[in-house]
Amino acid sequence: MIELTKTGIDGLDGILNGGIVTNSTTLVSGNPGAGKSILGLQYIYSGVEQFDEKGIYLSFEENESDLREAAESIGFDRWPEHVESDDIKVYDKQVLLRENDFSSSIELLLDDLKNDDYDRLVLDSLTMFELFFDNEKEKRTYLLKFTDILSNNELTTLMTNEQGAVFPDTDIGLENYLTDGNIYLIQTPTDAGVNRYLWVAKMRKQDIETDIYPMEISWGGIDVHENASAFSMMSEEDSPI
Amino acid sequence: MASVDILQTLGNKYSAEILDATDEPASAQELSDELGIPIATCYRRIDELTEHGLLELHDNILSDDRRRIKVYRRSVEEVRVGFDDGLSVNVEERSEITNKLDEAWRTLSEG
Repeated sequence: MIELTKTGIDGLDGILNGGIVTNSTTLVSGNPGAGKSILGLQYIYSGVEQFDEKGIYLSFEENESDLREAAESIGFDRWPEHVESDDIKVYDKQVLLRENDFSSSIELLLDDLKNDDYDRLVLDSLTMFELFFDNEKEKRTYLLKFTDILSNNELTTLMTNEQGAVFPDTDIGLENYLTDGNIYLIQTPTDAGVNRYLWVAKMRKQDIETDIYPMEISWGGIDVHENASAFSMMSEEDSPI
Repeated sequence: MASVDILQTLGNKYSAEILDATDEPASAQELSDELGIPIATCYRRIDELTEHGLLELHDNILSDDRRRIKVYRRSVEEVRVGFDDGLSVNVEERSEITNKLDEAWRTLSEG
């Protein structure tokens, strides 16, 4: 029996038939503004609130105060409390990029991982993380080693990735092959604003729904409408991944 | 700035080839076989390169016949020699991040 970790986003857990595989690494891809960071915040926040699982949030993109404001703006009111009590550990932009000394941050992080306190991790974003490596081969090698380290320390991980949804005949980043799962967040402009969609393209070891589902970001976080599948554009065989 | 002595060490036969081949850790025997270097020379070059901080002892791994084997990895990415403002030798070391991740990853397999 494969153990699953619930994301805490109801519709998404439904699409995944229960959650993501525990100790796996899932890539969350999308264009800027698609909701990747919010999905990450919600995953960590729900972990503490609903499942008594502590989380680590690594952000190269934002400061701790930006994250707190983002969390509070969608109703995650107890985010600061959880950070205060170390149930949520935040490594923000300022810490990670301090004097260009990312290597000492990595050391602190690796210590945290060894302590077994944490079950969930978000890396926002993989795109920034990869900038610390010199070439494609090194990026690949160290992404694999890093995911191995996370998995062995029993962390279930989401990594965000600046990449639009891919369809057949376009380039797919190697990241997509190196991680256990792929979720795409898609936004399309409309007269009234934007329509948002979520597509689970791949999940190793799991039977999943591969349709594209509408989602909303509002008070309370992300809602995925799993019963309202607007399309069945992709059958599993057509999936580019 | 590194010492000019480094140039002498680098200039010795096989030194550059050894650094080229130790992106991933390798033992003296592997380097000798792979690069066609007599084993005694290979050990001597490894010692010289290690003394000058260009190569480092990475690990003592256990061989198939349960002996400890030393494996070496280069600790530099680039050596630059300049003559513009007087002779200068600059050594660019490998990133600390990759070292830390390598180390953490290696301890996984040791349980």
